[in-house]
Amino acid sequence: MELSNIEKLLEKYFEGETTISEEKELKVYFTRETVPAHLERYKSLFEYFSEESTITATRDLKLETKRKPRLAWIGVAASVALIAGIFLTRTTPAEPKDTFEDPEIALQETKKILNMVSQLMNGGKKELKYLNEFENTTNRLLK
Amino acid sequence: MKERAFITLTNGFKDKLFRLAKRLLVSNEEAEDATQEVLLKLWRNKKKMAEYKNVEAFAMTMTKNYCYDKLKAKDSGNLKIVHSNYKDERPSLQREVEAKDSLDWVGKIMNDLPEQQRTVIQLRDIEQYNNAEIADMLGLNETSVRVALSRGRKKIREELLKKHNYGIV
Repeated sequence: MELSNIEKLLEKYFEGETTISEEKELKVYFTRETVPAHLERYKSLFEYFSEESTITATRDLKLETKRKPRLAWIGVAASVALIAGIFLTRTTPAEPKDTFEDPEIALQETKKILNMVSQLMNGGKKELKYLNEFENTTNRLLK
Repeated sequence: MKERAFITLTNGFKDKLFRLAKRLLVSNEEAEDATQEVLLKLWRNKKKMAEYKNVEAFAMTMTKNYCYDKLKAKDSGNLKIVHSNYKDERPSLQREVEAKDSLDWVGKIMNDLPEQQRTVIQLRDIEQYNNAEIADMLGLNETSVRVALSRGRKKIREELLKKHNYGIV
């Protein structure tokens, strides 16, 4: 192609007024071996464009299987079952039952147990009398 | 739609999605993620796919939106400081070193353009979509596509001229 024509096309190109086919002509022209010195700087531009159009993605597309949503449903079902389980066991709390027929015997049994507790308490308290001794000593020093 | 049919269909434009994502996000890894994400979204909505006039254009729009969102998220994060504080009008030393040859240099210039110009040039000069298609993908009218295209191309020319005068390469 004539040089003047190329220069005209270049002007149009930078105004954004070239057609796709005119741009192809420019690309073909500038990817040739020799280009006049004053147009040399556009060579890399058009070479860059044609080189960039050959880049390809390397990673293969992996489409997700339907395993995920199914697992999600299992999770939902499990949590529903868990909550239902908690409620079902909660609704029947054990009510206190009378174990003695005669209140008199019940009273005696209770007294027996309370007595045992207080005896054990006293047994434990015996050990504490040494503390009183300690109190005496400090009081003497302080006076 | 069966898996195989879907993959065959999307293989026709998967690389275009990837290149657009790479243009906007720069990192290879992030661009792969973006492509994957967009295609998976498409797969999940495959029942609606018959409604789309042009699946490819729709996927390109999804990719663009995905990348813009990513860039916005990055911009509001701490990366912003790095970008704004160290901005230098002249090509930095690091950039000069990085631009091993003139093709890399064009890439650097292009990636410094505003998002919209970058996207438009990518779609037009590299993917060779026409302005009507680009307008449709980006939700713009054809005039703004042409304006963005012209501004972007002129900016690249200006930078190339600067480099030429510095005589770097």
